[in-house]
Amino acid sequence: MSVSTPKLLPSSGKKSIHDIFHPLSCEEAALTPPSPELQITSSTGDKDFSLPNGTPVDTSSPASSSSLLNRLQLDDDLDGETRDLFVTVDDPKKHLSTMETYITYRVTTKTTRTEFDLPEYSVRRRYQDFDWLRNKLEDTQPTHIIPPLPEKFVVKGVVDRFSEEFVETRRKALDKFLKRIADHPVLSFNDNFNVFLSAKDLNSYKKQGMALLSKMGESVKYVTGGYKLRSRPLEFAAMGDYLDMFTQKLGTIDRIAQRIIKEQAEYLVELREYGPLYSNWASAEGELREPLEGVSSCLANCSTALEELTEDMSEEFLPVFREYVLYIESMKNVLKKRDQVQAEYEAKLEAVAFRKEERPCVPTDVEKCQDRVECFNADLKADWDRWQNNKRQDFRLLLTGMADRNIQYYEKCLAAWESVIPLLQDKPDGKGEMPS
Amino acid sequence: MRGSEILERMADSRSEDVAVIGNTDLSAADPHNNTMTEEGVPLLKTMEISVSEAEKRTGKNAVSMQEVYTVYLIETRPVNTISEGLSAAPDSLWRRYSEFELLRNYLLVTFPYIVVPPLPEKRAEFVWHKLSADNMDPDFVERRRIGLENFLLRVASHSVLSKDKIFYLFLTQDDGWKDVVYDTGFQAKADSRLKALNATFRVKHPDKRYTELKHYSDELHSVISQLLRVRAKVADRLYGVYKVHGNYGRVFSEWSAIEREMGDGLQSAGHHMDAYAASVDDILEEEEHYADQLKEYLYYSEALRAVCRKHELIQYELEMAAQDLVSKKQQREELATGTVRTFSLKGMTSKLFGQETPEQREAKLKILEQQIVEGEELVKTSNAECDEYVRNAWVDIDRFKEQKNQDLKEALISYAVMQISMCKKGIQVWNNAKECFSKMSH
Repeated sequence: MSVSTPKLLPSSGKKSIHDIFHPLSCEEAALTPPSPELQITSSTGDKDFSLPNGTPVDTSSPASSSSLLNRLQLDDDLDGETRDLFVTVDDPKKHLSTMETYITYRVTTKTTRTEFDLPEYSVRRRYQDFDWLRNKLEDTQPTHIIPPLPEKFVVKGVVDRFSEEFVETRRKALDKFLKRIADHPVLSFNDNFNVFLSAKDLNSYKKQGMALLSKMGESVKYVTGGYKLRSRPLEFAAMGDYLDMFTQKLGTIDRIAQRIIKEQAEYLVELREYGPLYSNWASAEGELREPLEGVSSCLANCSTALEELTEDMSEEFLPVFREYVLYIESMKNVLKKRDQVQAEYEAKLEAVAFRKEERPCVPTDVEKCQDRVECFNADLKADWDRWQNNKRQDFRLLLTGMADRNIQYYEKCLAAWESVIPLLQDKPDGKGEMPS
Repeated sequence: MRGSEILERMADSRSEDVAVIGNTDLSAADPHNNTMTEEGVPLLKTMEISVSEAEKRTGKNAVSMQEVYTVYLIETRPVNTISEGLSAAPDSLWRRYSEFELLRNYLLVTFPYIVVPPLPEKRAEFVWHKLSADNMDPDFVERRRIGLENFLLRVASHSVLSKDKIFYLFLTQDDGWKDVVYDTGFQAKADSRLKALNATFRVKHPDKRYTELKHYSDELHSVISQLLRVRAKVADRLYGVYKVHGNYGRVFSEWSAIEREMGDGLQSAGHHMDAYAASVDDILEEEEHYADQLKEYLYYSEALRAVCRKHELIQYELEMAAQDLVSKKQQREELATGTVRTFSLKGMTSKLFGQETPEQREAKLKILEQQIVEGEELVKTSNAECDEYVRNAWVDIDRFKEQKNQDLKEALISYAVMQISMCKKGIQVWNNAKECFSKMSH
């Protein structure tokens, strides 16, 4: 393992190779000077890493919790050219069993990775399978930000779990969930993810439990010993602040979007009353009949266009905001865990310092804590940067999509009104008027 | 083609009977218009008319209370001076709305067979929430000024109405015009509403054309009312949609403050959202013009209805006269032959109380003969009156129909043009916003 990369580690912000080349690099994380407590001095290649519960970690596999290795790997997720794992969620189907009715989705995988036995898989999964996967990832990769799932329970009692719109919205969210994991250089190599994508019978696997798993361990629960954090590094404090403010903004935008949808719906109601009146009028007229009918059908077209716009906004736009709010929730949890790991380290360090005269060297126990902190910070920073990048992409797509939909709406209306003009102009041969 | 260009094109090729809204410059008379050559040239050909200003005044009203009211400046100028390049100052005088009303009432009574152009609304109706319903509101006053000018132009370009002396004095005589109007005694000639109502239910042989016209005018009134009412609601909702987008402006600005790379894109997009929200004010202000055009025809339908009503009245009177004549002739016959054809109380009483003397009968016959002669004369004149009315009215109704079709086409065109402009602005704003959004990341 090259030792040159540790120079990047001090909290000046992790820069993936991808980011270094790009002039407009992500700087969000590079806000503060390196935190004094986290000087990485040793190489990680021959360190004995272990998870907080003591389970040793395999450092030779790229799926280790070592974020150094993480960093060395090219961030292909943004290029797509060297991506070697493609996952899709589609084809929702309803299943009726004696006990319950539920929906399954088809999960298709295409990959060249050697970790998989076959190059292609097609399995069916239901929501609780996704939920299981997420929980597993949270447990086994506690230093990483796990993408959110769509809401488990339907908030509004009135919403039909089996309606086309609901299923489609959920499908899209599940698809995004798996894609984000597949694009993650560490999470995508998680064994649970592999099993999720490939196992014919996931349920029996779930029941079998830990036996089949790698040395990574199962159900690792962080022992949050309730240590009090001395001081949070500025960088992570800034992350926390940002997340708080961002949540607030997202909430506001969500409310505004909902308000717009509501106003548009009310506008639509009036338009649908307005258009036919021109038709009524037309039936009383002679020469004006055609133009008035033209206006009536034009308004009907505009109404339809508006309806489509409102539906799109409701189905495509709003869910993304909700999803990001969930994302932020899980990120805040990861930040809390990080704080705990650091607090534990500080406490142990303090305890040692207290007894410094008695022991000449720093015990490995404290060193392990220190490593844990450093790894967590590095992983988190890497994920933070990745998340920021994805966030920018996602919102750019979302907002340009919103603009596009509005443009399309106006273009439809424009075409409708332009087609009315010829009906209203005097005929060039100046034909006589019909008796009105 | 812009609505106004279309209008100008129509103005050039059409007869002068079409009022040119806001455009007082008429081109040469249409040589094919027979009514012109027969009855001469309408006033608008020789005189430029405009209602150019509005002012507030205070004064004492009829019950000696202080009131605030608006007066409008009517300016007139002979056309010759303009074309010769001598720009003489226009003659002008101030009139208030009630004087316009007086003029119109006079015209209605004096020319009952004409579809008299309506005045702009007395009180603001079909208002959507942002629009003021206050008569003193500057926007309302401005729209009223335009409406009053339109009224004068329409009257001045009408082949019959424009020749009226009272109208001419309205435009030119500053003092004492009201007295002159009252002196004509037109108020005595006005038909009572009760009389008119009576006629509606009692006419036995209604003229089919007029019945259809009456139905049409009712339908037109009803449909335009509904249209105006719903349009106001649509305007209200549209306003809401646009204004809420302004909130995006604010939140994008706040959001951009916590972002680094995305900040600029968000901030500028926010400005476009603000512009979008602000644009609705102009859009809806312009749309009020369309509403005003519709309102004119709403009130025009009332004028049309009035012409039908007058016809009914005349028809009714004719029928009454004819009926009366028939009954009188019948009486004469009975008296002359001494037979009672139909049961009558008189017949009964005479049987009960004895016959009349020959002298009495002779006297009665003589009276009846006189009445019959008068009756025949009345029927003749009523008939002639009816015929003349039908003829004259139908000429103006035809003129009105043509004017209505052209005007409403023009109104619909300019409405469509407005909508097109609104769509284009919308596309532009969202394209601008989209460009900003796409700069948010690479």
